[in-house]
Amino acid sequence: MSRMRTVPADPKPSKLKQIRADKILYLMLLPAIAFYALFHIWPIYEMKLAFYDYRIIGDDVFVGFKHFKELFNTPIFTQVIVNTLVISAMKMFLLFPLPILFALALNEFMNSGFRKTVQVVSYLPHFLSWVVIAGVWYEFLSPSTGAINQILTFFGFQAHDFLTEKSSIRWVLVASEAWRSMGWDSIIYLAAIIGISPTLYEAARVDGAGRWHIMTRIVLPHLFIPMVTIFILNIGFIMNAGLDQILNFTNDSVASHIDIIDTFVYRMGLLNGQYSLATAANLFKSVIGVILVLSTHFLSKKMTGKGAW
Amino acid sequence: MVGKKFTLPKLAIGLVLSLIALAMFIPVINIFARAFSHPDKVHELTGLGVIPKGFSLINFQVVLSNPIVGQAIGNSLFITIVGTCFSLFFTTITAYVLTRKNLVGKTPIMIFLIIIMIFEPGYVQEYFVMKDLHLLDSLWSMVLYRMVNVFYLVIMMRFIEEIPESLMEAAKIDGAGHMRVFVRIVLPLSRIPLLTIGMFYAIAKWNEFFKSSIFLSSPNKTVLQVLLRQFVVERDTSTLVGITELLKNSNVAQLDFNALKAATIVVAMVPILMLYPIILKYYTSGVMEGGVKE
Repeated sequence: MSRMRTVPADPKPSKLKQIRADKILYLMLLPAIAFYALFHIWPIYEMKLAFYDYRIIGDDVFVGFKHFKELFNTPIFTQVIVNTLVISAMKMFLLFPLPILFALALNEFMNSGFRKTVQVVSYLPHFLSWVVIAGVWYEFLSPSTGAINQILTFFGFQAHDFLTEKSSIRWVLVASEAWRSMGWDSIIYLAAIIGISPTLYEAARVDGAGRWHIMTRIVLPHLFIPMVTIFILNIGFIMNAGLDQILNFTNDSVASHIDIIDTFVYRMGLLNGQYSLATAANLFKSVIGVILVLSTHFLSKKMTGKGAW
Repeated sequence: MVGKKFTLPKLAIGLVLSLIALAMFIPVINIFARAFSHPDKVHELTGLGVIPKGFSLINFQVVLSNPIVGQAIGNSLFITIVGTCFSLFFTTITAYVLTRKNLVGKTPIMIFLIIIMIFEPGYVQEYFVMKDLHLLDSLWSMVLYRMVNVFYLVIMMRFIEEIPESLMEAAKIDGAGHMRVFVRIVLPLSRIPLLTIGMFYAIAKWNEFFKSSIFLSSPNKTVLQVLLRQFVVERDTSTLVGITELLKNSNVAQLDFNALKAATIVVAMVPILMLYPIILKYYTSGVMEGGVKE
């Protein structure tokens, strides 16, 4: 019923004519374009400040790579890069297997109320803000009334203030990240397991495969592609060690140990007013980030046929 | 799925899973127990306690009757509700335009979007831009911040592409313009992705703390997460204490700061907990299906 229109005389109308005919369409696009131009492109353009000396009055002065040189000659910045990479790498490698193991464990209880309950509980922390999580964990880790220390002292160990000790603060970051994301991150693996055709299990069982064989020969190979994809894509975000989390778990005694590029930029730029230096640090981070995201995206596409977008 | 009902390994796995679930559950429930405990008795509660000591609502009364907290809740709600509506509307309308086949300049627009997706602007510059636009210290800065997320835009585009073209063609023949097609056909047919993506936006807006802390500086513009950080991280009690009127009539010797903090944390969690059934229904299954399809 909808194909009653006559064929236009010119099968390829000029672009201008098309735009004019669909004026309203471009008007509908306008808010989003304006929004991106104002809040995305403009700040990106303003990052040129990394190459200028900031002046309150008058024009900024172009100084080339001066601020980058200054940055890399600052011992703190070297420490900040090391902190960023160490914290990110700890999270990446230590937390990678957890959602997979969690999904495999849940898989043992398919179609049971128990599995659903565990899942529903395990997703919740993902939706809490880092401020709320910090609030919960400060109680959880409290040296006097916290659950962890009560368990430790029950077994005869000494109580620790994990949040103020340099030796433990990074582990607190890793553990709280695990607490927050393990359940949620397992969804993708669980979905892959559910996607396995039941006939494969049947066939394996007919051939006499036990639980172990079914896991290593059927389930794990099906998880391989999501595993590789997620791992490669995680590398792309290694410069992001978790700003919100660190801001909420920080205190004077451990600040130097968990000072990352993002917190450095915040301190230098918005608190100390060293705008050019902070921008240089941020630009450095963004450029490395883009290179990593692009290369891991193409690597992932090549290896698994899937990228970030 | 495999083997007999109860075997030793299965029992061990079940035990580990139960412990994991408890480790995720107890710290949260403990906060609830603290919040609902009587200030004189809350110190008796241990880290593993899940039942309030001397059930009382006084902590919530103190927290909620505090004008600063009330203001912060109002600000957070405004940003979340208005922000989510804005985000949803503009994400959907943009997705509709970008899925039109005869759109001129589609490729450059898509390249533009990918650049936006991968290049994070610095927040010192974002701060300056907000300042130049006179949006600093205005709740609108947080409404507009990250208004149209490219990732959700692409998800929305994929969804709209699946709406049968003939429906829209038919409407056009009946004389409907693009705006009419969008409002009458696309929006009603997109209820599920709107709900799912809306949830994503709402949770991000409600939980956003860092950007709120730099964009909004005056006390009457504070949002709940920023106020909470003041209590939790900086241990600044000044805002919470000082409600003496209420205390005179309530047999409370002294307010317990930790219990008040717990009550504020609970208040910050409430919207998430209220949305949680919907999150589980749409959001989780959406992610799950997405995982299978890809």
